[in-house]
Amino acid sequence: MKRFLLPLLVAFAASPAWAGIPAESEDCLGCHSDPDQTYDLPSGEKLSLYVNQEAFAKSVHGETLRCTECHTDKTSDHATGQLKFKTRREVTRAYYEQCKGCHFANYTKTLDGVHFAVMAKGNDKAALCVDCHGAHDISRPGQPRARISQMCSGCHGQEAAIYAKSVHGRLAGSSSDVPVCTDCHRAHDTTDPRDGALAARTPEICGRCHTDEKLMKRYGLSTKVVDTYLADFHGMAASLQQGKKKGPGVRLAAVCTDCHGVHDIEKADSPNSSVMAANLQKTCAKCHEGASESFPKAWLSHYEPTPEKAPIVWAVQLFYKLMIPFMVGGLVLQIALHLWRVVVNR
Amino acid sequence: MSNYIVRFSLKQRIEHFVTMTTFAALCLTGLPQKFYTTGWAHTLVDLFGGIDNTRWVHRFFGVLLAVSTVVHFASGIAAILSRKIGFSMVPTKKDFEDAIQQLRYYLGMTDQHPQYDRFTYKEKFEYWGLVAGNVIMVVTGFMLFFPVKAAMLIPGQIIPAAKVAHSNEGLMAFFVITVWHIFNAHLNPDVFPFDASIFTGKVSRERYLHEHPLELARLEGGLPPDAHGHGGHGDASSGHGGKRVVG
Repeated sequence: MKRFLLPLLVAFAASPAWAGIPAESEDCLGCHSDPDQTYDLPSGEKLSLYVNQEAFAKSVHGETLRCTECHTDKTSDHATGQLKFKTRREVTRAYYEQCKGCHFANYTKTLDGVHFAVMAKGNDKAALCVDCHGAHDISRPGQPRARISQMCSGCHGQEAAIYAKSVHGRLAGSSSDVPVCTDCHRAHDTTDPRDGALAARTPEICGRCHTDEKLMKRYGLSTKVVDTYLADFHGMAASLQQGKKKGPGVRLAAVCTDCHGVHDIEKADSPNSSVMAANLQKTCAKCHEGASESFPKAWLSHYEPTPEKAPIVWAVQLFYKLMIPFMVGGLVLQIALHLWRVVVNR
Repeated sequence: MSNYIVRFSLKQRIEHFVTMTTFAALCLTGLPQKFYTTGWAHTLVDLFGGIDNTRWVHRFFGVLLAVSTVVHFASGIAAILSRKIGFSMVPTKKDFEDAIQQLRYYLGMTDQHPQYDRFTYKEKFEYWGLVAGNVIMVVTGFMLFFPVKAAMLIPGQIIPAAKVAHSNEGLMAFFVITVWHIFNAHLNPDVFPFDASIFTGKVSRERYLHEHPLELARLEGGLPPDAHGHGGHGDASSGHGGKRVVG
């Protein structure tokens, strides 16, 4: 009794925040409130048995869950005093399954994600629920939004550092207009970016923001970028390549990221931008080997052909806009007259 | 007694067959690229084994069309130079008069049907339309096939213009063939359901008298050249297809 009451009283007095939370009702916190309490795993790692009660009380589950709702099999472990886990990672993996009970939809999504795929192949480090969301300290994701990218940077540091310097990353701390990792990569069914499937979706992914009139107006950006891309050769080829995966001998048509970059996207008029006029020849040459200085002019830079921007293209377009109806209409009229005369002759 | 006129030489029949097959293949592989957002385009492209295969098939038939166009020009020029054929395909003043008279006839303003020589104004229109179309398609097609090399020779902006021209000219050709050519070769009450002359080379004398009376007269030497006074075509046309009478 003394062993149970004393820490409880101490904790109760020290942090009234957790007073009355469901987790308290099962007496677990009586023992698991000692920050130094650890268990020696066979791997040599020390598993902390401490639960920060204040943090848990503030977490999204603080007011709803009792300890045993996640830690269902604790009783038996307590009886023997032995844990069945050999490593800390095994502990994490064991509790991964617990989230499914309530968060079935998101759990199912993760089965389509790249993290699950690499885990299935034996990569122990692949991110599980708690790796991104935390365990006892789970808070609402995306509050603030920049926290999402920070979370990913734990494992994907290199990409995160490049992103942080990009036109999107620079604003991520101060604005919710710009995309964070999960806006493009998704959160639970995170797409494997290596086979080209994610790249193939970029016209839609980038287009979500870059065709939004209100949002683009704030930055003085065109909303025609997706339509003009789709109307051109790359957009046509990419649309017809849907579902095709990168592989030996398979080169996919250029999508947004092939010209603009991926994590390192810059303003189009920045000297560092791969689509800046002076750098465009080099960017085109990535696919179009030997592209000359005039080659980038073959691309209308997301402009619709107008007498100012592309007079030749505009003129040819206008010519056929008039010529096709004139030609076809004339021929149909003559056929109609011919048939009419045939009828009259009878 | 039944008799017929050989209207088209073997070379001409082969040329038509090559043009017909390349045209069909180019439409099947080209139009899905123009209308790539539609379901049928995706179905067709899948049928050819994906867009990359589709484009290789398109290029193959495109090159075939280019070769056939060059062969047609070269042999035509050679034949004219060696006086084997004349200028029977060149539009003349009579063609414009024929066209007007034909329309007047359709409208019931006259009962006098125009008297045609070897090629009617409709055939000349379609021939020159095809020739001009082929040249446009071949030239712009090669620009799109080799955009990097093209940009070394011409301003870059010509390439997107070539794309617009290629795609629209192709669509127009598709319409002209499906509307005009299919009508004239199949649905026209005079030939319905199928004018087979471009495959057999033969046209009955009876039909020839109805459709090309001036040429027939010249072939048979029975009548003087037509009243419009372009008898100069006389010996020229005989090289195209001599008369054969089968007993």
